[in-house]
Order: sequence, then structure tokens, then C-alpha cells
Amino acid sequence: MIGAVVRRRAGRWALNGAAALALAYILLPLIFVVWLAFFRQEIPSFPPEGYSLKWFAAILDQRKFVDGFSLSFQVGVIATLAGLALGVPAALCLDRFNFRFRGPFSNLLLMPLVVPGVVLGTAMYVFHVEVENGLDVDVIGTFYALVCGHIVIIIPWVVRLVTASLAGLDRTTEEAAQNLGANRWITFWRVTLPAIRPGMVAGALFGFVASFGNLEMSLFLVGPGRTTLPIVILQYLEWKIDPTIAAVSVIQILLIGTVMLITDRYVKLARVV
Amino acid sequence: MTLVIDQRPRSNGLTATALLAPATIFVAICLLAPLAILFRYSLNDFVAAKKMMVEAVTVANYIRFFTDPYYTAILWTTVRISITVTAVCLVLGFPLAYVVARTQSRFKHLLIILIVLPLFVGNAVRAAGWMTVFGSKGFLNATLMGLGLIDKPLEIMFTEKAVVIGIIAVNLPFMVLSLQSVIEGIDRAVEEAAFSLGAPPLTMFRRVLWPLALPGILSGTILTFILAMNAYATPFLLGGPLFKMMAPLVYNQFTQQTNWPFGGAIAFILMAVTLTLTVAANLIFQRRSAR
Repeated sequence: MIGAVVRRRAGRWALNGAAALALAYILLPLIFVVWLAFFRQEIPSFPPEGYSLKWFAAILDQRKFVDGFSLSFQVGVIATLAGLALGVPAALCLDRFNFRFRGPFSNLLLMPLVVPGVVLGTAMYVFHVEVENGLDVDVIGTFYALVCGHIVIIIPWVVRLVTASLAGLDRTTEEAAQNLGANRWITFWRVTLPAIRPGMVAGALFGFVASFGNLEMSLFLVGPGRTTLPIVILQYLEWKIDPTIAAVSVIQILLIGTVMLITDRYVKLARVV
Repeated sequence: MTLVIDQRPRSNGLTATALLAPATIFVAICLLAPLAILFRYSLNDFVAAKKMMVEAVTVANYIRFFTDPYYTAILWTTVRISITVTAVCLVLGFPLAYVVARTQSRFKHLLIILIVLPLFVGNAVRAAGWMTVFGSKGFLNATLMGLGLIDKPLEIMFTEKAVVIGIIAVNLPFMVLSLQSVIEGIDRAVEEAAFSLGAPPLTMFRRVLWPLALPGILSGTILTFILAMNAYATPFLLGGPLFKMMAPLVYNQFTQQTNWPFGGAIAFILMAVTLTLTVAANLIFQRRSAR
């Protein structure tokens, strides 16, 4: 009997140990990036010769990081707003109505999540070439082309999360509102909208984060002198790794961590990823 | 006999169209049309001497890929790495997913944020972390040499090992989240019942937990596999210039070689192979579990 208890306790420890190992594996690269950002010497050699905060100040001297951050942020915000404007009504329609080809329409809107980033990028690039040649307007490498690409990858997040929050909504509340004399608009504004707000917030935040971190697709959509932060980081790392790039990464980690904490207040992260 | 009736009202045509059309049209123009054009390009000819695309309808690009050992080797490397990564992710991910699903701790949501955060930080940043660990003066080599276990640095950076280690870390959160959501839905009492009937933990796992968690295992492995097949930043940064996988190859054909038809063909081969393997694995898996 005691043997069984000991064995079960040992099993629990082994399980927790294995889980801790996996979590450490996931977090290891982030831990090292953060550590490197505080090194005093420029070369990432161990053990560090000392610690310093100077690399954070050094970021501001390198225009490309500041510009990259500002472009990524602008694109993310504009594309997220557009993604909400397009995605929320679509999610409402997919949840509320039954019509032919409902499945295919829903799959189409979720498709950008499964098409590889590199394929998205190349396809959009050749499309921009065709449009530019056909209509004689500037498309390739423009800000708006980049935003359109990002809207495409934000829509599926909005549709998914808003649909999920609609599924949990009790329809009788809406019927009650209508029985009490509210028309469809008032019902929407006063009943439906508040109920799906968490889904909208979560969809917007996830869409923003997906856009902000997007690398593969954006590689084909950026133009000269107009580069998003992840691409600036990639191009820098191709050349060298030093505490400056680590400091840039730390700021990105902090920003995204904050967004995650805010999102977590609205929806259970585990349900939506 | 019960009938499941979809209670959604038949569409009130105008409202439904007004709600759905904008998003659909946008995605059709910005995604479907580009994919169609890319596919059309993949059937074009390319004159290497002039670096020019010539209009044609030919499958030469697809044939070239499958007949040139250089390219089939890249495809094979990509598939091999993806399978390895997926298997390791399943083994490493299951215990963590189980613990997260079953924990009563009030810090559970923080645990989940810790798992999700790296997903959104971006692959380039995580590659930077591995570069710090694996570099010739990096943490691993400095520690091992400091302990006197090795005399000269191990060469991990710019090898397949580094790429595999890097992609596992990238994909592990997806596997954990897929498994965790399914395990959470399995009633604890089922496990307790197995234990009280005298099943040792491993038997309980094999006969109860594994079959019940199968949908999550399936979706997790499929997601991990697809992501590994499409990996770009990790092989690019950790594999170095000579190491090739499919996604960097597509990029290279487009930007360095400016061979759009061939790059387009590789893009569609990548998608087709991924889809075929995913569907095949799905069928085998379902037949096995049906038996």
C-alpha cells in the first residue's frame, strides 16, 4: 500500500519535472535574449564581463529600429481597424444565418491562417506587379499594399474570436429585447454588441499582434526605406548578433507581453489560440 | 431517433449579403486572385539567359523540381525535419499540456501566458536567443569548455541540429495548447476510475487518456507539421546560407534568382506536399483508432 503511494508520488514528480522541462525549453531563447540585452561587452560571449543599460539608449541612435517600430505600429493599428470593420459583420452573418455555401465562405475567411507566409507574400507580390502593369498605378512596396496584406491575415483572427463569442451568446436575450419593443438596431447596440465585445477586443489584439510580428509575408510587401520591425531584426541578425538587437527584442517582448496581459482580462487565452 | 435541426433562420438575403460581402470580396481580391496569378505564373517559361519570364503553358517547372536531385533533397530535408520536430513536440508537449490542463493553481492563466508569449514575439527574436546559446563563444560552449568537458567549441550553429532545436521551440506552444484544450474536456473521474480499478499510470495513459485525447493529438500534430514545413526565419537564421528548406528556397528563387515561374511552382509543391501528407496521416490515424 505504501509502495503504491510512493510510486504515485514519484510519478507526479516525474510528470511535473517533464512539464517544467518543456516550459523551460519554450522560454529558453527569450531568457537568453533578455540576458544578452544587459551585457556590458558587445560580443555575446559567456560569462559576461559586466552589465550595462547602455544598449537600450543605443537603440534610439539607430533610425532603422525606430522607423521599423513606427511603421509596424501604424500598419498594425490601421489594418486591425479595417479587419474589425470587415470581420465582425462577416462573423455575425456566419453565425446568424443559414445559407448555401456557408461552410466554404467561412473557410475562405479563415484560409489566410493556413496558407504559408512565404506563399502569401509571393502571391501578393505577383498580384501587385500585375495590377501595377495593368492599371498603371503605384502598388508595389506602397504603404497601402502592405496594409491590405496585413488586413488579410487579421480577418481570420477577428472572425474566429467573434464567432466563438457569438456561439456562447444566449439568443433568448435578444428575443426578449425585441419582445419588449426594441427594434433590430437597438437590439444590436444594446444586447448583441456588449455580448460580443470581449471577442472583438480579443480578435483585435490577436490580429494586431499577428500583424506586428509578421515576417514572411511582409518580406515581399515592403519597399525601399519602408521596412517593418521584424524584417529590420531579421536583416540585422543575418549580419550579427549583439546586445543592441537583444535590447530591441526586449522592448518587443515587453510590448507583446503587455498586450497579452490585457487580452487575458477579456478572454481566456487558452480557448482562442 | 433524434433530429438535429439547425435553428438558424434561412437567410434574409439582403442583410446576409451586406454583412458577409465586404470581407469575402476583400479576401477574394487580396488572396484568391493573387494565388490564381501565382499558379498561372508557375506554368510560364523562364529564359535564364535574359532573366525573363515568357508566357507559356507548361509543367516544365514542376518536372524540373522533381527530376533535379538538388531540389528533391531540399524537399526531403524539409519533410524529415518536420516529422522529427512533430514527434519531439508531441513527446515534450504532452506532460506540460496535462499539467496545465489539470492544475488548480490560481496562476494558471500566467502559465498559459508564458506559453503563448513566445508565439507572438516572433521567430527572429527567438532565433537570436538560440544564437546566443549556440554560438562558438555562446553559453553552451562556454559552459562546457569551462567545465573542461570539451576542448574546442561544438559546431551547432549553422547545422541541421540548430534548425531542429529552434523549430521545436517555435512549434511546442501550438502543440501544448492543442492538447491542453482537449485534456481539459476529459473528465477527471474517468482517470480516477481507471486508477481505482488498479491500472498503473502508464496503462491508464495508454488505454484511457491517449484515446480520449486523440482529437487534440491529431490537431496538434497537424498544426505542428504544417508550421514546420513552412518554417522560414528559423532555418534562415540558424541554418545559415548553405542550409536549405522549402520556404527559404521559395524566397530565394523569387528575390535572388528572379525566377518567378519556378518560385511559384515550388510554392505550390510545398502546399500540395504538406496537404497530401496531412490528409494521409489523418486517414492512417483514423483507421488505426477505428480498429
